[in-house]
Amino acid sequence: MQGGGRVRSRSLSVTMRRSAMTLQNNMAKNQRGEAAPSSRMTGRERQMGGFSLLLESSDDEGPEEVTFEDSKADARRSMKRALDTARREKELLKEKRRKRQELFQEQKKRKLLSAEVLEEIDSTKQEQSHVKAAEEEAEPEEVEGRKRNWKQNAARNLKGNYTVTTVKQSTLASSQLKAAEDFLHSRMYGPGSRRTTSNEMLSLENKMGKNKSAAVQFVKKNWACQKKAKAEKLKKTWIHMQQIPSS
Amino acid sequence: NLNVPKARNRKIQMGEFKVHRIRFFDYMPSAIRAMAFSTRTERLALARADGALEIFNFSDNYFQEKVLPGHDGRAVEALCWVGPRLFSAGLNGEITEYDLENLRPRYTVDAYGGPIWTIGVNSQGTLLAVGCEDGTVKMFEVLKERIQFQRNLDRQRGRIISLSWHPSGTLIAAGMMDMIRIFDAETGRATHRLVVDRGAGASKSKEVVVWSIAFLSDYTIISSDSAGKVQIWDGLNGTLIRTHLITKWDVLALSVSQDESSLVAGTSEGTVVQFQFLSSTVDRLDKDWVRTRTFKNHSHDVRALAHTETAVVSGGMDTQLVVRPLLDKVEKNTRESAIRKVSFPHRSLVCCAKKAGVLLFQFPDHLELWRLGESDGYGKPGGSLPVKRGPEKLIQLKRKGEDHICCSALSPCGGWLAYSTVTSFRLYRLLNGSISICKVSKLPKDLRPAHQLCFSTDSSKLFASSSNSSVVVVALNEPECKYLGTLKAKYGCRQPVHLLSASENGKWLATANTDCEVHVYNLDKLKLHCTVPVYGSCPTAMAIHPTTSNLVVVHADQQIFEYSLVKKEYTEWSRRLQKQGLHSLWLERDTPITHVTFNPKNPAHIIVQDLFMFCIIDKSLPLPEAKNVLYNQMTLRSLPEPDRVLHSHGFKICKDFQHLLCVSLLEDHSLVVVERPLLDIVSQLPAPVRQKKFAT
Repeated sequence: MQGGGRVRSRSLSVTMRRSAMTLQNNMAKNQRGEAAPSSRMTGRERQMGGFSLLLESSDDEGPEEVTFEDSKADARRSMKRALDTARREKELLKEKRRKRQELFQEQKKRKLLSAEVLEEIDSTKQEQSHVKAAEEEAEPEEVEGRKRNWKQNAARNLKGNYTVTTVKQSTLASSQLKAAEDFLHSRMYGPGSRRTTSNEMLSLENKMGKNKSAAVQFVKKNWACQKKAKAEKLKKTWIHMQQIPSS
Repeated sequence: NLNVPKARNRKIQMGEFKVHRIRFFDYMPSAIRAMAFSTRTERLALARADGALEIFNFSDNYFQEKVLPGHDGRAVEALCWVGPRLFSAGLNGEITEYDLENLRPRYTVDAYGGPIWTIGVNSQGTLLAVGCEDGTVKMFEVLKERIQFQRNLDRQRGRIISLSWHPSGTLIAAGMMDMIRIFDAETGRATHRLVVDRGAGASKSKEVVVWSIAFLSDYTIISSDSAGKVQIWDGLNGTLIRTHLITKWDVLALSVSQDESSLVAGTSEGTVVQFQFLSSTVDRLDKDWVRTRTFKNHSHDVRALAHTETAVVSGGMDTQLVVRPLLDKVEKNTRESAIRKVSFPHRSLVCCAKKAGVLLFQFPDHLELWRLGESDGYGKPGGSLPVKRGPEKLIQLKRKGEDHICCSALSPCGGWLAYSTVTSFRLYRLLNGSISICKVSKLPKDLRPAHQLCFSTDSSKLFASSSNSSVVVVALNEPECKYLGTLKAKYGCRQPVHLLSASENGKWLATANTDCEVHVYNLDKLKLHCTVPVYGSCPTAMAIHPTTSNLVVVHADQQIFEYSLVKKEYTEWSRRLQKQGLHSLWLERDTPITHVTFNPKNPAHIIVQDLFMFCIIDKSLPLPEAKNVLYNQMTLRSLPEPDRVLHSHGFKICKDFQHLLCVSLLEDHSLVVVERPLLDIVSQLPAPVRQKKFAT
């Protein structure tokens, strides 16, 4: 919260002050679009100062008559002051920004490699882009050519991790097809589709059918073999554990 | 976390046969994704998740006439008949027209709108509309040999999941996310926007997807969405008339009958709910869509529906095709009113090399070669025999390319293996007892991709069916196979050959095509020998007897014929059978015979097999009469010996093994029975919805 923005008082003087201030603010706003808070503050303070002097004299007396020229000059002065302060602040900010930018650039320069290495990298990058463009109609020989190119340049140790892979030829149509299939799959089997497994469905049928029998994994010998093997193993270890304290 | 059943090769003693009981063929069907019924031709086209297409002939006992193999990445989402032409649209962004005579795609057109979710044709058959991921409805003109892009309708924000033409062809209703748009088909402008409510509770945060939509001629729009609702809208004013909440999960499919008096909705629970346009009062005013029946014929999501005149056809993630006749359209308690389930293909995926004891299993993406186990012992009928050496997988051969395998064959000696896709044909030589494999690279150029393959019994020739019902004959030789000739049927045969059968003496080759035409060729002269009189139902299996050279053909309506190739006429037994007629229980069987073979020890035996039984037809015994019990093997066993002769008839049926994919007789007179229990398939299906049942 900027200082001087809010003055809370319940006396009549405040409303007069406020109305005058808003008048000033509006005029100022029209002039510059957005009023800088500090200028408002200074303007108000001055105004406050001015009015309070007047009011201190007497509450019963009527307001003093101020000529139009006077008030006009007053307003112009205060506006000029406000504009000046705004301009000064802008310039200050600009300076700050400029200094910061310079600082960053210096830091960057320190971090970067020497100019020669940069030149070399530039040249190899251009080669790469040429080869990549040719690779769009990829043939095995060209791919090998690129690999050979890299082998030659492998002597240079560039910073950073990278891997070289050949781009798989996937057309727009196949990616759209995959996206459409994914949409269908997510609508039918995605979250919120409330699905169960074939095992459960068949086990339910076994339970509700005319000749009731157990769940399918117990009825069919080769269903859920892994689970059964795991259960066997657990059973064996449990029995073993039981036998140890008794022996 | 389900384990696939381990390989089991049990040998049991059954009557006079040793039986290899095989359960290690891990055949796994693919989920049904879309279907379309053509009333004109009475054909149902079905698309599966792996891109395969199947055509069922509903007027011929629901026989699976044609199978077009799948393709990686085809991802068919919707099918559409335009007259006799079949179109599909998929998530790969392409519209494909199929050549049903050569069982392959005719061409594909990229719609350039991203993945395509739906396709629909106007009632005039002139314009094809597709709904795309990028929010456009694209219009294509249907021309004679192709389709041509016409224009886009107003582009929307959000994908177009479903669409339906108004019968007049002037309006299109499109189901999107959270809303339905009505388009003026002529101007392309979107005129109305119908907002669809999201679900309650947790579903409030998810967008509601309008999975399916139907536009009726009285401008009513029916929509089904992911919040479990079927909603009835006024298409002219854009207002909601009624909402029916039929499930807690998604309603994925809708289908309206031709006369618009009935509609069915398929849910993720596996139920199919029927609504009928009925009036509550006697007079025909104030008709309304009323929920009438609920069918629960599936354990998993129902993703495709077709409403024919007399039945409701449904299919989904449980891979079974179910035809449910509507009891107000067919006579009760007849064969017509029975529910039909198609769970397995109507053709053989197993090839048995009789001399080598090796089996070939055909999968869409690879082939497996197994050697059968051995057993020395003898046992009682029905008992298990000790296995000396278990079965072993010799070779697993992955296909090359993106097209799925169409057909495959193994030579009887186990030395040659061939398979074909729609684009390529490959032949391999197997050596060292079928352990090592090497590709035969020099193939004659006339050998193109085939629909059916067959090796001659002496493993010297390969027969490959080609276009226009012709067959290419190739002599097997290393390193180069020689082209011997092409067997051509009479002019005008355009349908593909789906059955090939070579005689044991190497003299005859019989072919059958989906037009019900059976041709027999003389292999010595490489010319057409005769054409069997056309019978109205499609042949499902056939074989030539080794000694008598009689051709036995079994049809989709369960009829059996025996034709003498030498005399070029039906045999006396066949005529007797036709005169007496087959037993009614035999004719009521709802799965076709997929294999016919003979018993070398007894020339009067014909062994036939369908999904639930195999039968040894003894021609020397009397035919069963209508009043006889057909399945009498169990009762006969309990009778004393002299009575058995009195009561037995020529059809000895064994139902001990199910579901049968192949029954074959090896050279050592042991029977090979390949089973695929349905439970093994169901246990590997994707997750069904969780139903909370009382006391569980």
